[in-house]
Amino acid sequence: MLVGGLLVVVAGLMAFFPSLGDSDTTVDWISIPLVGFPIIISAILLAFASQESRSRKEILAAPIRLFTLCASLIPLAISTALFFDWLIMVDWDLMYNEYALQKEYLWIESIGVSWHVGMDGLSFPMVWLTTFLVPVTIIMTWNEKDGATYHPLLLMMGGALIGVFVALDLFLFYVFWELTLIPMFFLILKWGGKDRRYAAQKFFIYTFCASVIMLLGLITLYFLQPEGNGSQYGTVTGRTFDMTVLFSNASAYNMGDNVFLGKDMQYVLFAMLMIGFLVKLPAVPFHTWLPDAHVQAPTGGSMLLAGVMLKMGAYGMLRIPIAIFPDALIFYQDIIMAIGLISLVWGAVVCLGQTNLKRMVAYSSVSHMGVILLGIASMQPIGYAAALFMMFAHGIISPMLFAVCGAFKHHYHSMEIGSMRGMARWSPFLAVYMMFAWMASLGLPLLAGFVAELMVLIAYWPEYGWWILLPGFVLAITAAYYLWSMQRTIFEGGDEGQPPESLNGETPPDITLSENIGMIILAIFTVIFGIFPFIALGMMDEWTVAFFEGVFKKGGI
Amino acid sequence: METEVFSTEFWQAFAPEMVLVVGLVLLFIIPNLGEAKFRVPLTKVRIPWLFGGRRFKSTGSPALPGMLGTATLFVALGMMVIETIDGGLSTTTVTSGDVTLLQIDAFSRFFEIIFLAAILMASMASLDRVPAHTFKGNKSLEEMYDNRRQADLYILMLTTALGMCMVALSQDLFVLFVGLELASLATYILVAFHKESKAGAESGVKYFIVGSVASGIGLYGLSLLYLEFGSLQLSTLSANWADGSILATIALGLVLVGFGFKVSAAPFHFAAPDAYAGANSPIAGVLATASKAMGMIGLIRILLVIALPDTGTDGSAIWIYTLATLSVVTMTWGNIAALGSTNPKRMLAYSSVAHAGYMMAALTAVGAWHWGHVEAPADYAEAIVAAILFHLFVLVAFKLGAFLVLGLLEMEGGASRLSALSGLARRDPLIGTSMFIFMLALAGVPPLAGFMSKFLVIASIVSTSVGDQWVNGSISFSDLHWVWWLALAMFINSAISVFYYLRIGVVMFLDIPEEGRRKPLPYGASIRMAIWICLVATIILGLSADTLIDMCYRAAESLKLA
Repeated sequence: MLVGGLLVVVAGLMAFFPSLGDSDTTVDWISIPLVGFPIIISAILLAFASQESRSRKEILAAPIRLFTLCASLIPLAISTALFFDWLIMVDWDLMYNEYALQKEYLWIESIGVSWHVGMDGLSFPMVWLTTFLVPVTIIMTWNEKDGATYHPLLLMMGGALIGVFVALDLFLFYVFWELTLIPMFFLILKWGGKDRRYAAQKFFIYTFCASVIMLLGLITLYFLQPEGNGSQYGTVTGRTFDMTVLFSNASAYNMGDNVFLGKDMQYVLFAMLMIGFLVKLPAVPFHTWLPDAHVQAPTGGSMLLAGVMLKMGAYGMLRIPIAIFPDALIFYQDIIMAIGLISLVWGAVVCLGQTNLKRMVAYSSVSHMGVILLGIASMQPIGYAAALFMMFAHGIISPMLFAVCGAFKHHYHSMEIGSMRGMARWSPFLAVYMMFAWMASLGLPLLAGFVAELMVLIAYWPEYGWWILLPGFVLAITAAYYLWSMQRTIFEGGDEGQPPESLNGETPPDITLSENIGMIILAIFTVIFGIFPFIALGMMDEWTVAFFEGVFKKGGI
Repeated sequence: METEVFSTEFWQAFAPEMVLVVGLVLLFIIPNLGEAKFRVPLTKVRIPWLFGGRRFKSTGSPALPGMLGTATLFVALGMMVIETIDGGLSTTTVTSGDVTLLQIDAFSRFFEIIFLAAILMASMASLDRVPAHTFKGNKSLEEMYDNRRQADLYILMLTTALGMCMVALSQDLFVLFVGLELASLATYILVAFHKESKAGAESGVKYFIVGSVASGIGLYGLSLLYLEFGSLQLSTLSANWADGSILATIALGLVLVGFGFKVSAAPFHFAAPDAYAGANSPIAGVLATASKAMGMIGLIRILLVIALPDTGTDGSAIWIYTLATLSVVTMTWGNIAALGSTNPKRMLAYSSVAHAGYMMAALTAVGAWHWGHVEAPADYAEAIVAAILFHLFVLVAFKLGAFLVLGLLEMEGGASRLSALSGLARRDPLIGTSMFIFMLALAGVPPLAGFMSKFLVIASIVSTSVGDQWVNGSISFSDLHWVWWLALAMFINSAISVFYYLRIGVVMFLDIPEEGRRKPLPYGASIRMAIWICLVATIILGLSADTLIDMCYRAAESLKLA
């Protein structure tokens, strides 16, 4: 009944929104169902729930939670249906700078801003991942305190994240880019750990500072582009924020010896944009906000942060600077490779020394993001496909890692690796999930992470030769810290058979039903994408081929 | 259209301002109506005189002056807005002999709307919140609020509004100065109006002394200008500026000191934090928005209309470099000082110093455009001015809104410590969330109005630095004009500012309310309504800015910069 009611709401909104636009009458599957609906519904729920007294909130938590779950299933259903062509036929085999399901409505005409959305092989996997993770996260953290506002915040986070991935307008992109900060800030601030005040502020300020530098780059780029006529161009400034126009201009000028805006300008703007994306990714030396944010964030926040929010950095790199400034990428190739390698090595080595389980997992994310940078720096089509698949695979595996950490914290009231020994005895289910997630993250064949790592190494070889030993060695370190931490938690150690001190003598429980459901869903999809990577990889390959033809002017895989 | 003073057209064109005058007169008369009788000398006949004596119940009501003042402002503002939206606004010039005194055009009307909107919000917020004397125990409303004190407050507010409107309308620097002083003197008293606290009186005196020194210096500059050109007409000055000697440049510098104080630009900003901290919050909000806009008019008139280097001598180009330096110093100083202040009102004061720096950076860009280093069409300058106007307008929404929230807190005790805000989101989620949204808007987080304004200002600066250099798709980074670095400075500064804006959010959402502040907030219907209006404006002007941007452009066009 709830779902039925929600569907009516969605249909009503969808009928209303396109009537604002002028011309084409095809159904807009993105603006309202994927972006607007989650944000609007969660904003209404938050405004409604925050007015209630504490005791009323307790009572309201259950229905709101259920309602939020149902609401979050709608975008999932729609994005899945779009993939399988159940709703309409969508042609995902696109040329460079072509997008499926495009829609454009003029927004601020004087400076050329429009609500322009669309998806291609780069953004669709990320959109699906987000729609998939939000309900899983809600199920996983079903019993989180103050659920009346917690779960709507997760939903809002999902809507804002999808907005980042579908935006085809620089202004709109930036709006969603910043909008994602606000729900996450509150998730950390209100549900975080002991140092949440510090962590939430650090998270917000760090990423905000980086993105204002990015915004200055975007504005400079905006005024440097050629003026034109057309509905997308601003009536006052004569320029446009529309990405598609920008890409086609850039692509037309980047021919032979011609360089769009000139080499010098490209290097400066590329660097400015990359600062924003590298901090979000995060890459060493800009990574220090991540461990703090992760350790303090609640489980749900961590899952979305690691699962999707970090990928915004990689997505933004591929979407904007690399597409517009390919020559700058060639100039900076070695530097990006170096940053990638340093992130990979640094993240892994720091992991070895961590005693806090969640901190270790957070640093392993830094390490894995280094792999994405290596794929980008390789300048090989297969490297790009690998980077995309790494984004996707890490987006499924890392939420599971954090789910395990969250369950651990929930039931053992501690995050210290040494505090619990012989977990398998008390919590067999949690032990199994932990082992599974750890194995997936260290790249066990037949699980999703392995495919991406292998492809990156393949792409790495032709470009950098024997340097390949370094990432290869790091993957061994990865295995080391994961196996070592597992040995210290799951299996029995010195004081055998004693429950941990943090429980004060109680018998440790196993994980709850909702945690079980959430983790098993994540585990199943890790296996599915490990065995059948081509489900997602096919689309990514096509996108890579088109991207290389359009941007680097050379053939693909 | 040209008209003489006090002709029929004059009354028609200046109807909104006349509403203010009528309201002012009524405020003098109505609260004083009472049962006084006049005894005819040598007889026992007493004629009812009505003026003075024991007040009638209706005229003695403490709520009456507030109602009257607010209604006056509302009517005047409504007339102006309707006139602007209808497009029925025609340029009207008032002359006396061969001297042009006032001019109604899109530019002046826009500023008048800013002034009246800010003062209307402040007067709504003050409707029932200025107690006559310190009181203990339970007393009736009549005892707590004295209608004479309320009348004083609203008379001063309307005087401020009238003076500010005069500044906006003036076409002659002398008239401008008279308007400026009318508004300034009223604000000096308004700052000291909170006489129960030591800080109120002290800050009023400080503000008065520093302010009168600044306007004295400005007046000296004006007299030098008169010495040089024999007139203070804007049109005469701008036509003859190129022939001016070094005296004109010196005079320009002195006049800038006067206006620099009003926009609270460094190094003339020292009185501002004290004044804001001592004044009632709504009054502080007026200082931070309307008073700043008034100073901005002065800067725009002097720098852009009179002394654009294109028409000026080489010597006057020095103001670009001076202004660029001052803008960077102002924004950095404001932000760094705000980082260290634990008093939310001082923090907002310093943040408004920083905002003054942003607007001065934009003014520098206009100068750079005109100086000829940049090959660009004329509408670049208009875009910059429009961005400044947009910024000034939306400041009324979120900066004043933030002050009003502090005003609500003042109703139950002081708001001079950060801990006064602690747990606000828990005590009153709507007010807490509004305050957080105002903070985000001040920091420039999309999609709020504060982001749009900062975005427009920065974009216009960048557009000037880039100019029309797009030649065959290849330019070098060093080809950009140096004002680009001002945009970078603005970005670095707004990154710094996030620290202290966010701190308020954290305190509101995380901390436990301090002792004595566990109860729900006082109700205050009118102040809450003002906060709501500010909140809605902050969000709406961020999401659909097109109408306001158009309005700003029309206002900027009417300056005829090119």
